[in-house]
Amino acid sequence: MATYPIRFLANGCVSLGRPGRWAATLTWQRGAGNVPGQYGLDSKSRPRILAGGAPEGHVLITFEGVTKRYPDGTVAVDHLDLEIPVGQTMVLVGPSGCGKTTSLRMINRMIDPTSGRILLDGQDIQQSDPPDLRRGIGYVIQQSGLFPHRTIEANIATVPLLIGWGKARARTRARELMELVGLEPQMASRYPYQLSGGQQQRVGVARALAADPPVLLMDEPFSAVDPIVRASLQDELIKLQSELHKTIVLVTHDVEEAIKVGDQVAIFRPGGKIAQVDTPERLLGSPADDYVENFLGFDRGIRRLSFLAASGLNLTDSAVVSAGTPAAQAAQAARRAGESWLLVVDADRKPLGWAAVDELESSPVEAKAGGAQLMAYGHTFDVSSDSLRAALDATVLSPAGQAAGVDDLGRVVGVTSYDRLRTAILAADARSAQADVTEAAAES
Amino acid sequence: MMWSWIPSNAGLIRQYTLDNAYLGIVPALLGLVISVPLGIACVRWRWLYPPVLSATSILYALPSLALFIVLIPYTGLTDTTVIIPLTLFSLCILLPNVVDGLRSVPGPVRQAATAMGFGPLRRLVQVELPIAVPLVIAGLRIAVVSSISLASVGQLMGIYSLGYFFIDGYQRDFPTEIVVGLVLIIALALVCDVLLVGARRLLTPWQPRRARRGNRRVLRGRAVLEVPEVAA
Repeated sequence: MATYPIRFLANGCVSLGRPGRWAATLTWQRGAGNVPGQYGLDSKSRPRILAGGAPEGHVLITFEGVTKRYPDGTVAVDHLDLEIPVGQTMVLVGPSGCGKTTSLRMINRMIDPTSGRILLDGQDIQQSDPPDLRRGIGYVIQQSGLFPHRTIEANIATVPLLIGWGKARARTRARELMELVGLEPQMASRYPYQLSGGQQQRVGVARALAADPPVLLMDEPFSAVDPIVRASLQDELIKLQSELHKTIVLVTHDVEEAIKVGDQVAIFRPGGKIAQVDTPERLLGSPADDYVENFLGFDRGIRRLSFLAASGLNLTDSAVVSAGTPAAQAAQAARRAGESWLLVVDADRKPLGWAAVDELESSPVEAKAGGAQLMAYGHTFDVSSDSLRAALDATVLSPAGQAAGVDDLGRVVGVTSYDRLRTAILAADARSAQADVTEAAAES
Repeated sequence: MMWSWIPSNAGLIRQYTLDNAYLGIVPALLGLVISVPLGIACVRWRWLYPPVLSATSILYALPSLALFIVLIPYTGLTDTTVIIPLTLFSLCILLPNVVDGLRSVPGPVRQAATAMGFGPLRRLVQVELPIAVPLVIAGLRIAVVSSISLASVGQLMGIYSLGYFFIDGYQRDFPTEIVVGLVLIIALALVCDVLLVGARRLLTPWQPRRARRGNRRVLRGRAVLEVPEVAA
């Protein structure tokens, strides 16, 4: 066993590399995860603190000049060089036939490369016994690939039993995982055909995690379920990953999925070459070439805003007025500040609606701002946790062309405007350009 | 019909029914024992299947009586003379079912097993064969029923079975005997078939049953219940 990069510790956990060095990484982690909302700040903002002692930035899986050529001459993967850091989600994305699945399957030796080598924690996987190697690498396949003849519990317990855990322990573990992936305990004794596609995929994820492998390979895991279920499974994967910090390699043809779940995204071209590897934010911000730009789709400028925090916005208070303020006074102040709409708030600074300044001016002397006819304020965004995309969306949908930023209690902090959004975006661009320069300087 | 014939020959009827059951079931089981490894080989080495299938089809085309006669010089007038040809026929029926059964394992299931660290043998025993069971039992049902019916032909060679009642009844122009033989063969085949269906249900609780309509409704209900979870 000593030559294999993956070994099984006495307690049944699977370890990579030299025992003791960072075996602690693999202990089961549970904790409060935060699930990003639709336009919430993306997973990329989560802290990169690993559960145990694995050094951040440590490369776990390395492709070195890997080529896969089939006997008929087809080149599936062409001189692939790729480094996959520990504890991160690397998404391989590209059109069909670009070699992304082949690359994934070379990691657990379901396919062996024609030339080049793949290192798992510094050790050439070619030296390992395939079944041994695979028992230390979780695998989630498209359409779940559950064993139809085994109960849900038995499906999940597969790898623990293979590596010699006792039945009782494997069973307990299976129950634990069912809870983790959100399956009802009474499903344990059901068979796969009795589950919906989304539930089957959850079982597939639970099964892959059963022996707590440090590496998780996911081959188009959510392609067979409908879009709504897919979105919720993606959210849950992000949440799980924020707790577990596995090294995940996920293959998809869906660039939206790649952007959503990936810490790093590798975009493949047809012919098995990588066009660009980068964080989703930087892919959207500076695609390497026309191919990548086309692949990312036309609204990448907007989508990139998901990665910029709304806290960077300089919100204005001059368009906020409390309901008790006399209408005429409010209108006067608004005119001075150049506002044509006022957001009326209650005593708790909760938004009530938009009042047109023109209307306030023409209202009777004794009227209060809260008594004016108010337009619905639409939806707000959370200044501390939402992204600029959420702020832009709220602004576009607001009748006033301005949107309310609120704190975590829903109290208005201030309102946006297109100008303020533009300023925030330019500032973020300048910061990321500065970061690139610093990084380039550090590398050279 | 001469009903009184039945009780007065109960011993004989019982004996030949058991003989016939033996001559029908043993070849089907032997056919199963041979077809499983052969089927596995045919799936493993794809090129093997077409020639093997052609060979078994040709065997199946041979009249059973001719095979019995060919075998008499070697095996004499024993049960073996009937069992060998019927085993070959069972094999012809079972082999395609074993091969189809093994091929019915969905690609993702096979790949998932491999990816989780099953070696080829473990995968075969723990995943592929169990999933092939429904199709194999479907083949076994046909093999048993046809062997039970063909076993009676052995009577022409003097190998006892329910076929005795056909020949004896015909020679004595005594229809009661023929009817009894016929009814018993059908009953025997039905009983074996029902037992095999029961065995399949026991062995494959994981198969969706078409009869259980209610279950599908429950599933649909569950799918609806998933929606709030998505919204949350």
